[in-house]
Amino acid sequence: MATAANSTETLVFAEPTGVGRRLVALIPGLLLLAAVGYAGKFIEQTIAAYTRSHHITFPNIEYVLWAIVLGLVISNTVGVPRVFQPGVATYEFWLKAGIVLLGSRFLLGDILHLGGISLLLVGVALTLSLTFMHLLGRFFGLKPKLTSLLAIGSSICGVSAIIAAKPAIDADDEDASYAIAAILALGALSLFTFPLIGHSLHLSDKAYGLWAGLAVDNTAEATAAGALYSDAAGKVAVLAKTTRNALIGFVVLGYAIYWASQGQAQSIGNKAEFLWKKFPKFVLGFLLISLLATLGYFTKPQLTSLANLSRWAFLLTFAGVGLRTSFRELGKQGWRPFAVGAIGEIFIALVTLGLVFGADRLLHL
Amino acid sequence: MSGSKALRRFSLDIYAVGLALALALLVRLNVLPAVKW
Repeated sequence: MATAANSTETLVFAEPTGVGRRLVALIPGLLLLAAVGYAGKFIEQTIAAYTRSHHITFPNIEYVLWAIVLGLVISNTVGVPRVFQPGVATYEFWLKAGIVLLGSRFLLGDILHLGGISLLLVGVALTLSLTFMHLLGRFFGLKPKLTSLLAIGSSICGVSAIIAAKPAIDADDEDASYAIAAILALGALSLFTFPLIGHSLHLSDKAYGLWAGLAVDNTAEATAAGALYSDAAGKVAVLAKTTRNALIGFVVLGYAIYWASQGQAQSIGNKAEFLWKKFPKFVLGFLLISLLATLGYFTKPQLTSLANLSRWAFLLTFAGVGLRTSFRELGKQGWRPFAVGAIGEIFIALVTLGLVFGADRLLHL
Repeated sequence: MSGSKALRRFSLDIYAVGLALALALLVRLNVLPAVKW
């Protein structure tokens, strides 16, 4: 399976050959991402046009869902041939470029307001979820470092956080792949459950977006879960998730210090350098574009173009989410890490839902 | 330093930010035609 673990960092650098040849190797997979994503968009538009012309009342199913489902069908039936894998692995690159471009749709004041609320809620949810995950891991008899990875993955930022934490706490490859598999499987499930729960609770776009951004692990899945609800919810989900991502360095540093104090990891020398290294730099790009938009650097039609570029980048991302998820591979990882992750996720989803309801009442989202 | 070694010094995030900022600049300078969805 092409997991995010081997996707992002090795995106362009997988083989020790020329840069040009590596870029050429991305083309088949990029074309596949574009084809699957565009097919999703085509299906959405075709169904909408058909139901409109025949006066049939039918809920609009977003291209996001079609692109993910098409990708899932391909990866779980014929599989993704090796020639496509380097290009498919670029989905996270498009996600980050899309998030930076999405900054143009936020005024800096909105970011400070919603981001501030998100930060407050992330702090509370993080403390509760880390504690709960460690209790669960102990109850299920998981190895302590595997529990640490699952706790970091489910409370902060999914796969990226696990990849960032693995070397910092000297965790085994096997533990990291278990934790990544569990987080990916749960992320796939949340895509289908979160919008249904949100609609059944009649959550507003802002409240739902905040909930998805706080509770869904992986940035790609959080973005997709938000976009599946509505465009406005997708925007808020990205902002909340980006706030969560910004804290990745602090949590990983905390764990690194803990495991070093236990003599089971190397101690961290320069902590500021460590934090900068782990800080997701695309957050700065997102803030910069938002600042430029707030200062009136772009005209209205230009802002529309930037928002549409962001949508195209997300279209490639959502196709990649489906294409990189293989249920057969996920099933091989054993049930216990999955069980700990699943129970932890339900706990986090409930806690964050409670926090969002509370914030909606007290802080008027 | 070879091209590939120079590339390795930067993370994926930097490339994503670079591409997004370059696109934003092209849009700002009206080099890119209006992007439709």
